[in-house]
Amino acid sequence: MTNKIMLVEDDEALRTQLERWLTDSGYQVIAVGDGSQVVDLFKSESPNVVLMDIQLPGRSGIELVRDIREFAGTPIIMVTARSEAEVMDEAFEAGADDYFEKSPWEPEKLLARIKNSLRVQQRSAEPVEADSGVLKIGSVTVDILGHEVRKNGEKVSLTPYEFKLLTTLAEKPKMVFSREQLLKDVWNHSYQGDTRLVNVHIQRLRSKIEDDPDNPTVVVTVRGIGYKAGLN
Amino acid sequence: MKKPGLLRAIIGWLRRYIQLRAVVSTVALTGVALVALGGFLSYSIGNGLFQTRLTQVLNESQRSVIQVQNTFSASNVSDEVALQTLMNSVVPSLESNSGSQQRLVALLRSPAQAAGSLALQSPMSSNLNLNVIPTQLRAKVAKAGSHLEYQSVSIPGTDGAHPAVVVGAPIQIPLAGAYELYLVFDLQNEQNTLLFVQRTLVVGGLVSLILIAMVSYFVTNWLVAPLRVASDVAESIASGDLDKRLPAKGTDVIANMATSFNRMADSLQKQITKVTNVSTMQQRFVSDVSHELRTPMTTIRISGDMIFRNRDKLAPSLKKDAETLNDQIIRFEALLGDLLELSRFDAGGVRPHMEPQDVQHVVGMSIASVEPLARSKGSKINVDLPSEFAEVELDSRRIERLLRNLLANAIEHGEGKPIDVHVGATEDAVAITVTDYGIGMSKEQLDRVFDRFWRADPSRQRTSGGTGLGLAISQEDANLHNGWLQVWARPNQGACFRLTLPKVRGGAVTESPLPMPPAKALWDLPEGFYHE
Repeated sequence: MTNKIMLVEDDEALRTQLERWLTDSGYQVIAVGDGSQVVDLFKSESPNVVLMDIQLPGRSGIELVRDIREFAGTPIIMVTARSEAEVMDEAFEAGADDYFEKSPWEPEKLLARIKNSLRVQQRSAEPVEADSGVLKIGSVTVDILGHEVRKNGEKVSLTPYEFKLLTTLAEKPKMVFSREQLLKDVWNHSYQGDTRLVNVHIQRLRSKIEDDPDNPTVVVTVRGIGYKAGLN
Repeated sequence: MKKPGLLRAIIGWLRRYIQLRAVVSTVALTGVALVALGGFLSYSIGNGLFQTRLTQVLNESQRSVIQVQNTFSASNVSDEVALQTLMNSVVPSLESNSGSQQRLVALLRSPAQAAGSLALQSPMSSNLNLNVIPTQLRAKVAKAGSHLEYQSVSIPGTDGAHPAVVVGAPIQIPLAGAYELYLVFDLQNEQNTLLFVQRTLVVGGLVSLILIAMVSYFVTNWLVAPLRVASDVAESIASGDLDKRLPAKGTDVIANMATSFNRMADSLQKQITKVTNVSTMQQRFVSDVSHELRTPMTTIRISGDMIFRNRDKLAPSLKKDAETLNDQIIRFEALLGDLLELSRFDAGGVRPHMEPQDVQHVVGMSIASVEPLARSKGSKINVDLPSEFAEVELDSRRIERLLRNLLANAIEHGEGKPIDVHVGATEDAVAITVTDYGIGMSKEQLDRVFDRFWRADPSRQRTSGGTGLGLAISQEDANLHNGWLQVWARPNQGACFRLTLPKVRGGAVTESPLPMPPAKALWDLPEGFYHE
């Protein structure tokens, strides 16, 4: 089964070339130029990954991410010409999972991002290895087999990336992960990654699973090093 | 200079506070003037008192002498006892003459008197010490005809020595011969009057000094106050509050100064607003250009990539073109990226994303990213890290890019020889040196090393795909962190780049923790050139 990529890009020439290049790379591509059609097309096509431009006429990429997150956790990679901190932070807070800079164009990097997103997404949908079971961090239980996270017994809905971030930390509860390590383990980024991606995801995760996100007990910050799972 | 510290402190205060200086110099100058005036007054009054008293004393003495002489001349005593009685009566008659003022009297036998005259006693006031009458006066009196001689002396009194005048005159006594009459006038009253005047002058002078100090303090305060306000306002303007102005009331020189100051502030504010607007416009322009150029650039890149991927499907004659096209598009894109980055610096729109980071980690990341390049050139990278954890506030993306750039340069110019990386830290700074032992640079090359688009040797084969802007961007990134990027080099011996960063954001670097070139080099390095 070929994986479906939804490509949201307003520049027609770039959209056409990117669609051809992605098709050439072996994906089925749904290309959209108009932001207002995105949600409907998403619902009818159910893509595996979304490549989302930030600057769109009509509805901005960030608003579209928020719309999609209302009903789906599908990995969304922001494709941007801007690397300004505020814009990217806003996109991650809205629910975007990863980012890719248009320029300089690094085709291998884009393919790696897409593949990682597909892996993360599929892992959360397919049955997993038998040796994993139920992990417990504080008041949070992670059922790796059932892809279920419960806080005080109540089910919490996490996106595939959030789930992967939590299980990565929970599987090695004694280990302190640096931001770079998490970028590598969760996002499969190389050394040049932007660690803000990790910071915002940790915040997003905390807002869903912590009793008090300002005083986290499940995902704990280790100053100067990174993060670790809280004590059981 | 017993206490140079205190003295220096006082001089320091005087230098610092114009008002204190004005008050102190006013008081000092007035003090000198008052002392001179007081001295003059005291001298004139003293002199006046003395002259008046002296005239009086001489008149009295004249009368007394005539009276005594007449008494003796008119008497017709014939025997020694009667004469002695007469002489003895003279002294108390003159003594009692003088009211409250003490007047002492002595009738002395002249030493020049011919021998054989009657030896009579010399009567005198009981409390008169003969030493009081100076011998010079006695000599003068002996020679004097009939006029008076006088001299100022000091006599013992009940409360210490008193100033006095001794007046002497010769007296002819029948039978007894030449005698001398001495009258000693006590001037203590005049002295007391003078002391009182002097005391009054001193007290008056001190009170005037205090009053003058207070007046000069208030006057200077009144003059300095607008300057203080001006200084405060200037300080506010300097720290960014461009709307602050001085109150300008009246038409005096201070109001004029305030008006001029406000005009200057207006003009400054206009200029700054204009420059800020230009800068904002330029930043927006750079941002727009960036976005507008990058989208077609990416489209061209993808198309180039598509052609390159499928080059085998092209006619053999076009295959080489497909490769060249792809290479040059990649180069063009890198150049565009660097140019836009520099424009962003020039427009002043760069905001670093500062975070506390372990410097060893940042160095490690940078080295890891150039490992493939180093391996392809056969260069080994030696690293010397400090044992302790050194946390620095930095924008890791920028500093890693900077170090990658230095490492790539070192590998490119290192001719396959090892690359040394040293990391050093002090209390408030860290330093990283990247040293190669390759072709190095001459003094002329070194001076231009941070220039845009400058290349050490244009004929050299380029492998790392540099744009000629890397070091210019690196220097901007170092400046952005308040750090230093410096370089040492020597032709055919190698080059050493040193990055020094303050540990905390906004801190300043005063000294680099590492020497340049590194002390622990692989080989002994001779003297080289520096560019800082």
